[in-house]
Amino acid sequence: MSADERGNGDGNAVEAGESNRSLYVESPIIMATVRVVAPFVFTFGLFIMFHGADSAGGGFQGGVIVSTVILMLAVAFGVESTRDWITPERLVALVGVGVSAVLLLGIGTVALGGGFLEYDVVPIYHFTKYGIELFEIGIGVIVSGIVVGLFFGLAAGASGEGGADREPDDREGLL
Amino acid sequence: MVTLYEGAIIALLVGGVFFGIVAAVGLLRLPDLYTRAHGASKTDTLGAGLSLAAAAAALGSGLPTVKVVLLLVFLFLTNPTAAHAITRAAADQGIEPWTSEDRGDGE
Repeated sequence: MSADERGNGDGNAVEAGESNRSLYVESPIIMATVRVVAPFVFTFGLFIMFHGADSAGGGFQGGVIVSTVILMLAVAFGVESTRDWITPERLVALVGVGVSAVLLLGIGTVALGGGFLEYDVVPIYHFTKYGIELFEIGIGVIVSGIVVGLFFGLAAGASGEGGADREPDDREGLL
Repeated sequence: MVTLYEGAIIALLVGGVFFGIVAAVGLLRLPDLYTRAHGASKTDTLGAGLSLAAAAAALGSGLPTVKVVLLLVFLFLTNPTAAHAITRAAADQGIEPWTSEDRGDGE
């Protein structure tokens, strides 16, 4: 009985592996387009992020656009190979760096005698603008890390057992 | 009285709206995924392209026009690729294309 169940389990795993492979569509057209478009999208995302200081834009919008680059790479070259490159640990580290940068900026101004995020107290010329830009980069890093993490979580659900078996603890921690 | 330049902008806009309507009709009336993707992507690319060309012409020379033209270029690159990705994935998943034989089954 147990051997039978094992056999079933193995069969399911093989089936899931096959459906996992068929979920990735290898197409030279998609790869070529992503190769051409990705740098422009990344630059545009950074532009939106930096532009939040003096016009429409900001860290949230820019972060989503930057994370779109990773989603495009995952669609064009496969989710698994992209996840091998951007591991859950690296994503968590990225979000952690963003959170600590924002906190450092906010508490740093308090330490210098101002209020939370009161940039005027920092003795650097035009620091208000640089401070807002630093803040936007921190927000953008957090947003892009979380959007990519959510995408990997959804992709692991779609790829069935084989995907869910891969480092379940890390992924649960991420989500 | 409209000038020739304004007339050209209006003609581009009318063309864009026409292709937008064709895309909507194709999406609603065509029978399966492949024909709908075909109708929607081709005519939608042209409709958005002509509308953006009209916007670029109306804005004259300057930075906004450059931005609109860049938008146009990337739309022309990415829109057909997205349709291709959807249909390639559907073909890999084994979705059968609609044929005229299916019409007999339906009625």
